[in-house]
Amino acid sequence: MMGPGLSAYLLVAAAMFGVGLYGVLSRRNLVAIVVSVELMANAANLNLVAFSRFGGHPWGQALALFGLALTVAEVVVGLALVVLAARSHTSLDVDAMSSLKG
Amino acid sequence: MSYAILAIVVPAASFLVLALVWPLRHTGRPAAWLSTAAALVSLACAVLALGEAPAMGAPPELLTWPWLVRGGEVIADVGFRLDGVSAPMLVVVTFVAACVQVYSLGYMAEEPPAALGRYYTWHSLFIVAMGGLVIAPNLLQLVAGWELVGLCSYLLIGFYWRKPSAGKAAVKAVWVTRFADIGLMLGLVLLYVQTGGFSWEAQAATSAVAAFLFLGVMGKSAQVPLHVWLPDAMEGPTPVSALLHAATMVAAGVFLVVRCWPLFEHADTLLLAMSWIGAITALVAAVTATVQTDIKKILAYSTCSQLGYMVAGLGSGEMLGGYFHLTTHAFFKALLFLGAGSVIHAVHSNELGDMGGLGRKTRTTMVLFGIGTFALAGLPGLSGFFSKDLLLEQVAHAGQYGPLAILLFVAGLTPFYMMRAWCLAFLGEPSPKAAHAHESPAVMLAPMAALAVLAVGLGYAGGPFGAMVGEPYTFHLTPVGIIATVVGLSGLGLGYAKYGLGKLQGLEVPALAAVVRAAPVDTFWAQAWSRGLLPFAKAIGWFDRYVVDALVNLTGWVAIVAAERARTIQTGRARDYLYAVALGAVVVAAAGTIGGISS
Amino acid sequence: MNGFPWLALTVLAPLVAGVALLAVPAQSRGTVRVVSVFSTLVSLVASVKVALAYDLAAGGVQLRESLPLLPSVGIGWELGVDGWGVTLLLLTAITIFAGACATWTLEDRDKDFYILLLVLVAGVFGVFVSLDLFLFFLFYEIAVLPMYLLIAIWGSSKEVKRLGPFAFLWDRLDVGGREYAAMKLTLMLLIGSAAILVGMFAMVQGSGSSSFNMLEIAERGVPESVQLWVFPALWLGFGTLAGVFPFHTWSPDGHASAPTAVSMLHAGVLMKLGAFGVMRVGMVLCPEATVTWAPLVGAVAVINVVYGALGAASQSDLKYIVAYSSVSHMGVVMLGAATLTPEGWNGAVYQMFAHGLMTGLLFALVGLIYGRAHDREIFGMGGFAKVMPGVAVFFTLAGLSSLGMPGFAGFIAEFQVFMGALAAGHWVWALAGIVGAWITAVYVLRATRAIFWGEGPPARFHELSDAKGVEWVALVVLGTCLLVFGLWPRLLLDYIDVGTLQHLAAFGGAS
Repeated sequence: MMGPGLSAYLLVAAAMFGVGLYGVLSRRNLVAIVVSVELMANAANLNLVAFSRFGGHPWGQALALFGLALTVAEVVVGLALVVLAARSHTSLDVDAMSSLKG
Repeated sequence: MSYAILAIVVPAASFLVLALVWPLRHTGRPAAWLSTAAALVSLACAVLALGEAPAMGAPPELLTWPWLVRGGEVIADVGFRLDGVSAPMLVVVTFVAACVQVYSLGYMAEEPPAALGRYYTWHSLFIVAMGGLVIAPNLLQLVAGWELVGLCSYLLIGFYWRKPSAGKAAVKAVWVTRFADIGLMLGLVLLYVQTGGFSWEAQAATSAVAAFLFLGVMGKSAQVPLHVWLPDAMEGPTPVSALLHAATMVAAGVFLVVRCWPLFEHADTLLLAMSWIGAITALVAAVTATVQTDIKKILAYSTCSQLGYMVAGLGSGEMLGGYFHLTTHAFFKALLFLGAGSVIHAVHSNELGDMGGLGRKTRTTMVLFGIGTFALAGLPGLSGFFSKDLLLEQVAHAGQYGPLAILLFVAGLTPFYMMRAWCLAFLGEPSPKAAHAHESPAVMLAPMAALAVLAVGLGYAGGPFGAMVGEPYTFHLTPVGIIATVVGLSGLGLGYAKYGLGKLQGLEVPALAAVVRAAPVDTFWAQAWSRGLLPFAKAIGWFDRYVVDALVNLTGWVAIVAAERARTIQTGRARDYLYAVALGAVVVAAAGTIGGISS
Repeated sequence: MNGFPWLALTVLAPLVAGVALLAVPAQSRGTVRVVSVFSTLVSLVASVKVALAYDLAAGGVQLRESLPLLPSVGIGWELGVDGWGVTLLLLTAITIFAGACATWTLEDRDKDFYILLLVLVAGVFGVFVSLDLFLFFLFYEIAVLPMYLLIAIWGSSKEVKRLGPFAFLWDRLDVGGREYAAMKLTLMLLIGSAAILVGMFAMVQGSGSSSFNMLEIAERGVPESVQLWVFPALWLGFGTLAGVFPFHTWSPDGHASAPTAVSMLHAGVLMKLGAFGVMRVGMVLCPEATVTWAPLVGAVAVINVVYGALGAASQSDLKYIVAYSSVSHMGVVMLGAATLTPEGWNGAVYQMFAHGLMTGLLFALVGLIYGRAHDREIFGMGGFAKVMPGVAVFFTLAGLSSLGMPGFAGFIAEFQVFMGALAAGHWVWALAGIVGAWITAVYVLRATRAIFWGEGPPARFHELSDAKGVEWVALVVLGTCLLVFGLWPRLLLDYIDVGTLQHLAAFGGAS
């Protein structure tokens, strides 16, 4: 069987995770953060699928499907929260949302 | 034995009834009659008990119940012990108590009913407490009675509780005597530790026990420097002074030494110390008495002085003289106090300056007071002569010449100041207050007469008394006795010449007065309280609140401050939290990797 | 063995009443009071019955009740009393009965107050009869925790001057407030509880016991190496509640801020929980370590006695005087305990009893005075005997017991402690105890004179009245007990002595 090996998938997944993490940590816009979180979640999914495909167990792919469903739910709840936050704060800048400051 | 029990139980019943049935107590006079009747019954029983009491040496009559246990064994009893030491003292106590209670029917007649009821309730309690002390089968009960008579003293000195000075005097009496009781308590506990019980007959006890007990004696029997409470105690009603602070309660200390004689007998160093302390007390108090103007204060210092006599007598190593003087003194000093009360009743003042010339108005009182004066002065033939003679002879016999010299000097001083009091009160020109004086009623004079009979006659009972106490005694005059008599008579003569006839103006007592004003003892104790204990307590209170408790508060404060610091981590910025999460993930991953490698 | 469960009845009567009160509307004040007082009366009768049923000749632990709760970890409803338990059960029953009566006039949220009080006292009863350590601890916490609410809600506050090197702390902490007092008390006691819990588990583990039953632990024995650190943990843990220096400072503030019945119960009974814990759990289960640590325990107790008494002498606030005197008197208990002699232990337990009654009475009286005069500064009073003669009489009675007057229960207790101290060869302990009693005489008589004697009372106090109605019950019950147990000590001493014999056996017989 030809095609890219496992390490290629892992590298891509790591890159996606890195991009996602960078986005979460550096972006101030709430929507962008949600998108970045999605990116990280999907990097994990990609890992699952890759490990499953290369000599793993098919349960890995099942878990990835399960993960996708969860991600969708997460996006729904997350975006709903974003909408609520936008309503109450007028802006989506997370640095402005610091009412939990101790 | 049953009479001795009744002598205590009857007043106890009277006390219980008066204490619990307050409507009866608040009626005043019926309560007084009840208590007085109980006191008289008690006296009769005590006399009968004296008749049947076994002398010392014979086995005592005992009736006891177990009181304290330890490890399943009884270590202390309560009950009654009738023997040659307790029986005479029981008679002394009940006799004086009965006289004083009868006398008080007249003296206290104008008190409000509720106060009168209270007065007699405490008097009933006093007979029980003092009787319990006297008839105790062991030292523990004696000490219990000792503290309870102290309580009666507190309550009766503070009888006029609305008067600030009375309150102060009452509290001071307890403070001082209980301070001395620190020693008493230690002695008692030490006796237990050394002998496993509270018997004064135990062989195993060392003289340290006696030494500690004597500290308590010094407080109760007002020895220098713990005598300061006794003059103040005169704030109580005069009959109370007669009973508690002259005849019986203050003598409890001397009685304790007599009672625990087996413990004291062989403590030679202690006995010598007792002689000196007693002699010094006798001297200091007698000197102070010569310059007092308050008739009760004179008698109070005189009591103090005579207690010193008794203690010095016991210090000779012979017990009889001190004990005999205790009994005779109880009667004539009670008589003197009741006489003073009669005079005070007549002029409504304690000051000698408000008296004078009372002899014309109150002839009976003058005679009775005179008998007391002469008995105290040691006029040959009266009771004081015999007991003082025996006491001095024993001190001489013990070879304690220093104390003996002091005591002989006091033997001259005593008649002098008593003569002064008698002359200033009854002779001379009446003061404005004394002009309207009147003789006291018979109910007051009768008990005084009864006491006077004993003040005269008791000296001739020395033989039977000695037999009872177990130390044979026959009267014989010795050189010491002759010297004492001569000194005493010259004291009387000097006193009469100066205050009765107005001669000897050159003989002033300013030197003595100066000594007394400078007497540092009372000031010392006052300072010990106001500059010593109280500030120390305040310092402790301050230390507790502002250091110890502050450390507790500091702990709380540190927790609060630390929490304030710690909470600044919570920036409220989501990104900071995410950084922390990412960092945490990295740490966990790294730890996992390292752990994976190493395993 | 299988007779009527008197112990369970004693413990549960107040608890059941407390729960039942939840169903009673708060408006029906009479019902609330009657139910509460009745339940405490049931406990009182049951505890007297326990005393009568206890066989003195047989000794040991009797009236056992056993019901497994968590057999897998060895926790069970194991009740039983020894001689000490009987004594303290009686004390608790008498005090809470008097306390419930003394609270009769409370009007602010009285139902809640009674509920908490009853729950609390059920915990106290439970501690004295538990044989299972876990149950013991459970009851202990039940007894301690309601105190927080009782003081924080119904307490009173006092202004405290900012002074001393730590003055900067004052504002931040609201020192002197009732919430402050409640929190300080609770936190200090909970720190103690933590130490106790650790010590308890260590003892169960160390002894290899299959259950939390104290008898089994004692039988198996705790290894000495474990004892050596467990004992101090228990001493300081329980000792905090017993007011052991320097962990006593919750007591003055706590007692001063607490409402009358709570002060009565707290100083009267709860402090005894601490001392009882030190002796029953700490000393009896760790005998070897106790011998090692006893000199320190005794030395600290000496500080307690003298320091507490001087502290009381320095105060002019009536409640603080009584609170400091509790610190001093609990020192006498610990002193007796530290002697490890039969006399000392008898005295210590007797002192728990005597001090419980006496301080209960004192706090009841202080409550009466404060409730009427709304003032606690004694030097502003004077002549109160004129307007409240009954209170004056009972105050004098309690004071006399406190200063160790023979004829009152306090004397019996203190005297035996002194005997024990000297029998153990500790001159300083005996001397300190006796000096402490003298200082007590100094401040008690001073306070009595300042409050009740003298001219007066000042005009603003002319309208004061004496105790009324049910309040008398509290005073008479406590006062009578003080006298009865002072004049006839064997009523109680026989029980205590049996307990002491049993527990001293752990030390290889009477030492």
